[in-house]
Amino acid sequence: MRKIIFLLLLTTIFFLACNKNAGSLTESINERVDANATVVTGTMAGTFTSYGQNVAGTAKVYSQNGKLSLVLENFSTNNGPDLHVYLSKETMPVNFIDLGKLKSISGNQVYDIPGTPDFGQYKYALVHCQQYNHLFGSAELIK
Amino acid sequence: MIKKILLGFFLTASAVNGFSQSSLPKVSQFFDLTGTLGESEGAIAGAYVHNWHLGKKKKWEIGYGVRLTSYFGVKKDYITAPARLSRSSTIPFVVVFSGQETKNWDTLNVQRPFANSFNASVNFGYNFSHKWSAGFNIDVIGFTFGRATSGVLTSNGTTRTETVTKPAAFNLLLTGDNDLGSLNSEFFLKYNLNNRWALKAVYQFLFSEYTTTTIKQTAPDGTQVDRFRNKVNAFGLGITYQLQ
Repeated sequence: MRKIIFLLLLTTIFFLACNKNAGSLTESINERVDANATVVTGTMAGTFTSYGQNVAGTAKVYSQNGKLSLVLENFSTNNGPDLHVYLSKETMPVNFIDLGKLKSISGNQVYDIPGTPDFGQYKYALVHCQQYNHLFGSAELIK
Repeated sequence: MIKKILLGFFLTASAVNGFSQSSLPKVSQFFDLTGTLGESEGAIAGAYVHNWHLGKKKKWEIGYGVRLTSYFGVKKDYITAPARLSRSSTIPFVVVFSGQETKNWDTLNVQRPFANSFNASVNFGYNFSHKWSAGFNIDVIGFTFGRATSGVLTSNGTTRTETVTKPAAFNLLLTGDNDLGSLNSEFFLKYNLNNRWALKAVYQFLFSEYTTTTIKQTAPDGTQVDRFRNKVNAFGLGITYQLQ
């Protein structure tokens, strides 16, 4: 019976070992767009408003060689699970483009924007905890 | 995949088919507890089973049971559920082998699915010896209750947050994508430790269904779709306590 219990435990550990690690967000990063990248339409940028999570920094949309990027500058936030960066039509992420997982809770960071969204509609940059549907911060991209 | 597993079961079972045979019981009743794990998901199932032994040597088993399956996961993709959209045919049984209409599929990423389905099931089995048996069971009808959670619906090139997705309440086996709700099925290979206890290795195929509340997929035929399904393939282990 002990052998069987040991085998059961071994199998469980094997299955659990298959789970992916979330990785650390706490290491500060310092990404930059190229020097020849330009801010879209002059000054398309906004400062983050926090929703109880100490979100601060600036969001800007840059263009380079026809490719768009959302750049978070001097950014900081509290840590949280499953944090994503969105371009959103609303302050709450009802209709949005997911730019991927937040790379770090502090520093300068660059996110590729797929296609050419209408910034007249997608006028907010959001940091959102997707798994628990909790908004951390939003920045209106003002032209 | 299923064919390979079945072949594996029967090859393994045939290898141990040299055990001496004495008469098997006419009826067997047992409790079953099974755990399965996949990537970022898992399920625990408890069942009561009543089987009749058939045939001259009582090697074949058929019967009924009731099963409570708790399925849980993190950020799992559920795709468009109605068979008229997901498959090229909705004819019962044919639907299982019909083509997948992926162009009609949209994805609902359910953030924290947790659904408990209570279903009546049917069971089939074959005893290779007093020690070894193999079989298949599948849920037929029942109901589901569970946790409402948020979801992210990617549909027609847009991504939207659905704040309240919840498990589909009614379960019914109609074969393949015609099925409604959450239904569990298992292929298993069982080894009897003694007259009371047995261990089993399980391949599980489980349908889990969630519905959206406010945000729906607009299908190519113009209909609004709120049913999304996750098909779970997982391996696991189980333990059986024989009552009779």
